[in-house]
Amino acid sequence: MERNGMPFQTGQFLILSLKGQIDRREYSVYSGENDDFLEVLVREVEGGKVSAKLKRLKPGDQLDVDGPFGFFKFSPDMFSPQKFLFIATGTGISPFHSFVKTHPGLDYQLIHGVRYVEEAYDHNDFDPKRITLCTSADKNGDFEGRVTAFVAEQKLDLGTNCFLCGNSEMIFEMFDILTGKGIPVSNIYSEVYF
Amino acid sequence: MNLSDGERVISVLDKAGYQWTDNEEEANLIGILACSVRQKAIDKVYSRIHKWNKWKNHKNLITFISGCILPDDHEKFLKLFDITFQMKDLPKLPEMISNYGITTPLHLKVGIDPHNENIEQFWDVKPNYQSNFEAFIPIQNGCDKFCSFCAVPYTRGREVSRPSRDIISEVALLAAQGYKSITLLGQNVNSYGLDKKGEEITFPQLLREIGELGKRLKKDFWVYFTSPHPRDMTDEVIEVIAEYPVLAKQIHLPMQSGDDKVLMRMNRKHNMEKYRHIVESIRRIIPQATLFTDIIVGFTGETDEQFDNTRKAMEEFKFNMSYTAIYSPRPGATSHRWDDDVALEEKKRRLHILTEELRKHNFPYNNSLVGKTVRVLVKGADRKEGFLSGHTEGKLIVRFAADDENLVGQFVDVKITSASDFSMEGELVEAGSLKSEVGIPKPVATV
Repeated sequence: MERNGMPFQTGQFLILSLKGQIDRREYSVYSGENDDFLEVLVREVEGGKVSAKLKRLKPGDQLDVDGPFGFFKFSPDMFSPQKFLFIATGTGISPFHSFVKTHPGLDYQLIHGVRYVEEAYDHNDFDPKRITLCTSADKNGDFEGRVTAFVAEQKLDLGTNCFLCGNSEMIFEMFDILTGKGIPVSNIYSEVYF
Repeated sequence: MNLSDGERVISVLDKAGYQWTDNEEEANLIGILACSVRQKAIDKVYSRIHKWNKWKNHKNLITFISGCILPDDHEKFLKLFDITFQMKDLPKLPEMISNYGITTPLHLKVGIDPHNENIEQFWDVKPNYQSNFEAFIPIQNGCDKFCSFCAVPYTRGREVSRPSRDIISEVALLAAQGYKSITLLGQNVNSYGLDKKGEEITFPQLLREIGELGKRLKKDFWVYFTSPHPRDMTDEVIEVIAEYPVLAKQIHLPMQSGDDKVLMRMNRKHNMEKYRHIVESIRRIIPQATLFTDIIVGFTGETDEQFDNTRKAMEEFKFNMSYTAIYSPRPGATSHRWDDDVALEEKKRRLHILTEELRKHNFPYNNSLVGKTVRVLVKGADRKEGFLSGHTEGKLIVRFAADDENLVGQFVDVKITSASDFSMEGELVEAGSLKSEVGIPKPVATV
């Protein structure tokens, strides 16, 4: 999408609707703060009132874009130590893509959970040493199973800043896993895709 | 918020020559300012409009609706009401009424303007205050927080701050007219100004300006605000309240739940650590302040353990008042898509437990005031015959024996003689005096 000068901070979301239509949906910004365009990652929902229409858009079509909104804003300078664990399911990888694109050189690990390896969107944009793909429905990822099962097996530095984005079930389960490992609640940041 | 909107609607209709009637059946123009926070309120709208539309068979009647309306309801209301408009278009209401029967672009406009363009026109409408001692001033419209149980971001649109000069002028005018209680209104008052990206003062700066105004005017009045969001609550706000006498020492801080996972599911953007820090700051900086809150019980997925964390939080924070609501899914809000899986009986049980918890803390607090003299703003006749009632600066209810209705709207000093769970009783000491104010106690330990 043309950005038209819209300011946003990495981690924020937009509300999109087809021009003049009532149905609207929230999408995290996928592109970086310095890009001169706006990108969002959309999973087509069967019978969805917005995603199906977005899929049919052609170049030149117009959208109503409202925002930016949200408090999942990220700037590495706000943290000490600057050591980050990003955990996403599905299109929840969007804000982390924006984080990494905006702030090259981040000290991060990204755990991304999908059903099939084909859903591992744009993994080339991440440092391969810093990303772990968890696949729950095939054996082609780095880990066979859900992100929660993977993280439950890991030893974590208690000072790690943990960012969670994706479906609510994953986030609530992960919250218990992380706090169970001793990560303070104040080090856990979440953006729930409801 | 609807009360404040209503004062402006009355003002516009007054100027257009309409005469108010308390008798619904006598009216030729009936309007509703809708509230979408609970489904029950919207159900009532449907019930009323069906009744009014039947009346049209035997009388001249025009109906209108405005306020908080979800897009789905808005489409249905277009067919049921004669006039449907967004509150920002209120100045054009007389024009819409006079053009009734001729389809107007405003009438046909479907959907909600999320940007609240032209909201300034609404704020420019001088309200017809319904009280001569208590007033509400909108300082902001809309909400950007997107709590999962709430539909306000979809009904009132984005947060837009009213110009501070207009707010301060309205406060000055009301104070000069002798108003004693002024409440600043907004969905998230403490994010006031942030939408203007540095071109407007912030909420603590606004409070400071009002505090300075209070000093200059040498008038005796209390300024409240509701409601703030814990996410944007800073020590600076609390310090400013402590500094200025006109800023009432009562803070309404919605907690909603005492459990971090429930707060996450509610998309509240604050956790209990943050909430605890704010309460500690309030107790440290303004020890005499009373603390009110909002809580939702039986939110979707709330377990016994999570509910118990809310009960424990009430035990810890010793609120003076909690507006506790049983969760009901609201179409348009995110949580409406989830199972409403806590049974109604269980929700009622949880509500009862929290009410008992509140009662347990309130009585010792109120009882500690027995023998002390407190300032009370008299609000009207009490249910108890021969008594008037009002509230303290901290919004605690006090009744006292008096039958002089001239005291309504005045400050009086009352010596507290007895206390109950949610109110106190006392004896009138002196009316209109400034000298007998005494400190309100710090929260007391539960007995």
